[in-house]
Amino acid sequence: MRPLFFLNPDEARIIDAIASHVIPSEPGSPGAREAGVVHYIDDTLAGFGRDLQGAYRSGLEALQAAVAPYGARTFADLDEERQRGILEAAEASPDVPDAFLGQFFAIVCEHVVQGFFGDPAYGGNVDEIGWRLVGYPGAQWGFSADQMRPGVDARSIPILTVADLYARVGTSA
Amino acid sequence: MTERFDAVIVGLGSSGGIMAEQLSAAGMRVLGLEKGRDHTQADFEIKHDELRYYQRGAIVAGVSVDPVTWRPDPGSTARVLPWSAGVLGTDEPLYGLPSIGTGGGTLHWGAAAYRFREADFRMRSAILERFGEQALPDGTTLQDWPLSYQDLEPYYDRAEWEQGVSGAAGNVGGELRDGGNPFESPRSRDYPMPPVTPGPGDGPFVAATRRLGLHPFRQPLGINSREYRGRPACVNCGFCHGYPCHVRAKSTTQVTSVPAAKATGNFELRDMSRVLRVLRSADGRRATGVEYVDAHDVLHTVEADLVVLAAYSLENVRLLLVSGINEHGQVGKNFMTHNFGWFASVLPDATNPFMGTFNASSAIDDYTSEIVPDNDLGVLWGAPIISVTGDLQPIEAYHLMNPRVRKWGLEFKHWLRDNYTHLHRMYSQSTNFPSSRHYLDLDPAVKDRWGQPAIRITHEWEDHDANAVTLFGRYKARIAQEMGARETWMDPARPPYHLSTHDVGVHRMGEDPTSSVTDRFGSVHGCAGLYALGGGGFVSYGGYNPNLTIQALTYWSADHILDTAGTRPKDLAAV
Ligand SMILES: Cc1cc2nc3c(=O)[nH]c(=O)nc-3n(C[C@H](O)[C@H](O)[C@H](O)COP(=O)(O)OP(=O)(O)OC[C@H]3O[C@@H](n4cnc5c(N)ncnc54)[C@H](O)[C@@H]3O)c2cc1C
Repeated sequence: MRPLFFLNPDEARIIDAIASHVIPSEPGSPGAREAGVVHYIDDTLAGFGRDLQGAYRSGLEALQAAVAPYGARTFADLDEERQRGILEAAEASPDVPDAFLGQFFAIVCEHVVQGFFGDPAYGGNVDEIGWRLVGYPGAQWGFSADQMRPGVDARSIPILTVADLYARVGTSA
Repeated sequence: MTERFDAVIVGLGSSGGIMAEQLSAAGMRVLGLEKGRDHTQADFEIKHDELRYYQRGAIVAGVSVDPVTWRPDPGSTARVLPWSAGVLGTDEPLYGLPSIGTGGGTLHWGAAAYRFREADFRMRSAILERFGEQALPDGTTLQDWPLSYQDLEPYYDRAEWEQGVSGAAGNVGGELRDGGNPFESPRSRDYPMPPVTPGPGDGPFVAATRRLGLHPFRQPLGINSREYRGRPACVNCGFCHGYPCHVRAKSTTQVTSVPAAKATGNFELRDMSRVLRVLRSADGRRATGVEYVDAHDVLHTVEADLVVLAAYSLENVRLLLVSGINEHGQVGKNFMTHNFGWFASVLPDATNPFMGTFNASSAIDDYTSEIVPDNDLGVLWGAPIISVTGDLQPIEAYHLMNPRVRKWGLEFKHWLRDNYTHLHRMYSQSTNFPSSRHYLDLDPAVKDRWGQPAIRITHEWEDHDANAVTLFGRYKARIAQEMGARETWMDPARPPYHLSTHDVGVHRMGEDPTSSVTDRFGSVHGCAGLYALGGGGFVSYGGYNPNLTIQALTYWSADHILDTAGTRPKDLAAV
C-alpha cells in the first residue's frame, strides 16, 4: 500500500470505498479506485486542504453512525448495495444542518473528481486513467492548426503530463 | 526623511501598468506599489495544471487574505462570499477578486478585447428615446457618460495597438468590411493582427448563425495571432482563461507596459507591498502620498504629488473609504456586475473543447445594446451572444455538466466519457443597471489581517437581469437547435455569484460631484492629485467585457495628467 499522510488505513479504505461509488470501476474501464484517488485526497488533506481535516473527521463519524445499524465494522465492510443506499440517502439531504453526511459526501465527490482528473503529479489519475476515459490529452504545450481542425480525433494525440513538460524543457529538478 | 516621488501608483495590473509606462516615459519619477509578486516568465513556464490555477486559484488573492462580504439587501448580515469561500472545498476561487501581482487581472483574463458601442455611452438617453422614462426599472441611477465613443476612439485604437489585439474590423471609418462585425461602431483603422486560429467548436456556431440570417464575427482578443512587438504567436495550449501565459502571447501589462516602464529608468516597482491608506494635506483637499506595508509587514510612508489608485474597482473603493475620502457619499454607489447566462450544448461532432483559448471563437451582435429586439420580457438593452470553444479541462467540465445528470455513479462516468469532447458553450453578459439598491461599503464586522475592514457588497439580481438571461437563453436555444445540439441546459437566471471579475461603477465618472466620484479623467472630486482608474469609473454597463475600455480610459487619463503637468512626451519632443 502507498504511504498515507493524514488518513489512517481504515479511513483510507472508507474513502476509497466512497470514491469507487462516485466513479465506479467496470471491466475494461477503470475508475477512481484504480486511479488512486484516495491518495490524492489524503495528500490534499495533509497539505493544501488541511483546513478540511476537521470536516473529514466529522464526516467519517457521521458515516459511522449511518453504518452502525447494519452491524458492520466500517462502511468499507458493507456490501456495495448497502453502501450505495447510504450515499443516496446522504445525497438527498445535503442541506439539513444535522445531516452533515450529505455535505461530507458533496466534498468527497468534488475531491474524487479532482483526484481523478487532476494531473498525476498530485497523486491521483494514475496512468492518466481519468484523461483516457474522457479523451483529454492532458498538459499539451500547444496544439497545431491541424489539430485544431474540426473532426480531429483527440484520442490520437499522445497524452502528456506536467512531468513530461518539465522533462521537455529540461528544467526538471 | 520620507521618500518622495512625482507619482505613486497603487496596483500594477491592467490600468496601473499602463499608467506607470505613460508617466515614466514622460520623465516623471514613478513608484509602483503592488501587493502581489512581480512575476517572472519562469514562474509561468509550465502552467498547464488545472488543479493549481483553476481549482486552487494559485494567483488569486483568495478570501482568506482579502475577505469580501456580500448580502442581498440591507436587512441581511453579510457573509464572506458564500459562492467563493466554500469551506467545503467546493469553492469557486475565480468568482472573487481577480489575479494579483504584476499584470493583475490581465494575467488571468480571457482576453476578450471588446470596445463598447457608441450607444453604450448614452444608454439612458437611448432607452428614453425608444422606451420612454417609465420603462426604466425603479431605483435606477442610470446616466449617460460624461464622454462619448468619439472621445474615446483614439484611445481604443491606442490600447489595441500598444497592448496587442487580434481581430477582424467590421467598420473602418463608416465602411463595412466582410468578416468583421457589421454592428461595431466606426473605428479609425483595423486591428494590428488578424484573428487567432479558431477552436474546433466554432464552425458549427458560425454555420448555424449564418443560416439563421445572423452575422457572426471573430472576437477581438488580446492574444497574438502572429509575432507582435517581440512577443510570439499563441500556441493554442488551452490553459488560458484563468491561467498565466507560458509564451507571452497573451497581452498582459506584465509583459507589455510594466517592462516598458522599467526600461525608462524612471520607474521603481516594489512588489509584495500593500497600500493601506491614502494620505492627504491637513485640509483634506490634496493627496500627499500613501502608507503601505512591505512583505515583512513593516509600515512605510511615501510622498508624491500624484497618487493613482489602480487597485481594481473594489479595492479602490476600500482605499478611498478607509482613507476617509467620500465627500458626497458617492464612493461605492452604483455597483454593477455581469451575469453571464451560461448556456451549454452537446454537439453532434467533436468540439475538443480543451484546444485553444477560451475565446478563439465567434460572436454575434445582432441583438446587442440599443438594437435589442422588441420583446415580451421588458428587456431594454441587449448583449452579444458569444461562442466559447476552448480552455475547458475535465474538472471544469464536471462543474459545467448538465444538471439533469446525476453527478456520481455510472451515469456520471458514462455521460462525461461520451460528451466531454462534444461540449460547446455560449454566454451573454447582460446589462446590470446601476441602482440605489446596489452598492459597496465597509463591512462593520469583518477585517483583514492588517486590520482593514473588508469591502461589503449589497446586491441582488433584479427582474431585468433575470429577464435578460431568459430572453437571451431563447436566442441561444434557437442557435443550439440549429447546430443540431443533442442536449442543452443553462445557468439559472439569478446565479449564485455576485462578483464576476467584471465589477464596475463604484467610483463613477461625472461632472457633478454630488452624483459622481471623479471627473471624466478619473480625478477624484475635491482631492487634488488623486486619481482612480479602472472599471470603477464606468457610468453604465452593457454587454461587453470591460478591460479594453479600462485600458482606453487609462491612456485618456494619462494624456490629461501629462497635459495638465505640461510633460506630455510630444511637448518634450518639441522643445
Ligand atoms: C479569470 C478572468 C477572466 C477575465 N476575462 C476578461 C476578458 O476576457 N475580457 C475583459 O475585458 N476582462 C476580463 N477580465 C477582467 C479584467 O481582467 C479586469 O477588468 C481588469 O484586469 C481590471 O483592471 P484594473 O486595472 O482595474 O485592476 P487589476 O488588473 O485587477 O489590477 C489591480 C492590481 O492592484 C493590485 N492591488 C490591489 N490592492 C492593492 C493594494 N492595496 N496595494 C497594492 N496593490 C494592490 C492587485 O494585486 C492587482 O495587481 C477577466 C478577469 C479574470 C480574473
